[in-house]
Amino acid sequence: MPFVTVRHLTEAEIPIRTALMRESRFQANLTDYAVVTGDDTLTERQRLGITEEYHIKRHFTLCGPREEVVGFAWITSIDWRSQCCELSFGILPRFRGAFGATAVAAAHTFVRTELNMRVVVNQVLEHNTMLVSSENLAAQRRVRCDYDSYTVGQWRTACYWSENEQDAQAQRSQVEDRRAAVAERIRAMSLRAQ
Amino acid sequence: MTEIQLLDTAAAASALTAVPGSARGFLGVDPVTQNHALLVRELTRLGAQVFRTGDTLLGYLPNEVQPRQAYVASTSPDPEPLRGFLDFLGTYQRCTSFVALVPADSPPVVALRDCGFTQVGTLREHRYQSGAYQDVSVYFVRGEDTCRS
Repeated sequence: MPFVTVRHLTEAEIPIRTALMRESRFQANLTDYAVVTGDDTLTERQRLGITEEYHIKRHFTLCGPREEVVGFAWITSIDWRSQCCELSFGILPRFRGAFGATAVAAAHTFVRTELNMRVVVNQVLEHNTMLVSSENLAAQRRVRCDYDSYTVGQWRTACYWSENEQDAQAQRSQVEDRRAAVAERIRAMSLRAQ
Repeated sequence: MTEIQLLDTAAAASALTAVPGSARGFLGVDPVTQNHALLVRELTRLGAQVFRTGDTLLGYLPNEVQPRQAYVASTSPDPEPLRGFLDFLGTYQRCTSFVALVPADSPPVVALRDCGFTQVGTLREHRYQSGAYQDVSVYFVRGEDTCRS
């Protein structure tokens, strides 16, 4: 089980994040504005996000067990009084398989247990099945919004749903059940191989 | 007295960020939930000063309505840095009494007690950390009652 920690994004990490913003799947799944925006502007926008805009957004770095950067998370649409925000992610391509789900879970846990957010709003473009399967996306969404975004030359449909603490607990239980099932299958296969 | 070095605000924020676990609640700031820029902003807004002695960070915040009283904070359970700091504040800021607000049962409580502080109150469920509302203990000592070395 990979271990992921969450800490604040630093200015030194902006080039890594900028490169991720120009990666093809990031463009398709989140936004493609980095392709037509220069380095200076991208750097300045992210720097402002770190140094000035912490009341309306927070940027975080997701780190692996050796402190290596595996991805980024950020919260926007923050309502501090109502304890509600939107949480977004970008995982570096080489870490997506190993750390994707764990990194997302770590970010969710952080915003709940340290920033005291009670409701987290998720937005996933419907074609993006990297972390949530099509079936789960259809089951979880509460809003399906056609023509929500235009990325890489196509209109994208978005799915929205919110998660309160009970939902998050149910998600954790499902993940734990799946992990236990996988462990049991591996154990059974090992026994058969002996 | 061990050398006590005043840090500028940016250096103070960096130093607190480097020890996030033991700096939570330090003069009311929290390096886990506040990034470097926000720590700088908060320390500046408060008018706080952060000092370093050895590996320990020490905080000073004057009580605006009682200038002889200071709020203090430490990142260490070791009483010696705090003891020297109280002497320092008595000498250079003419402080005659000290207040500390610390998360209940956090490591600096050991240093406070050893320096003569007594718990005078509890702010119930005063801060949120690690998924729960937590109590903050209020400690007080008069300068003349600190256990000077």
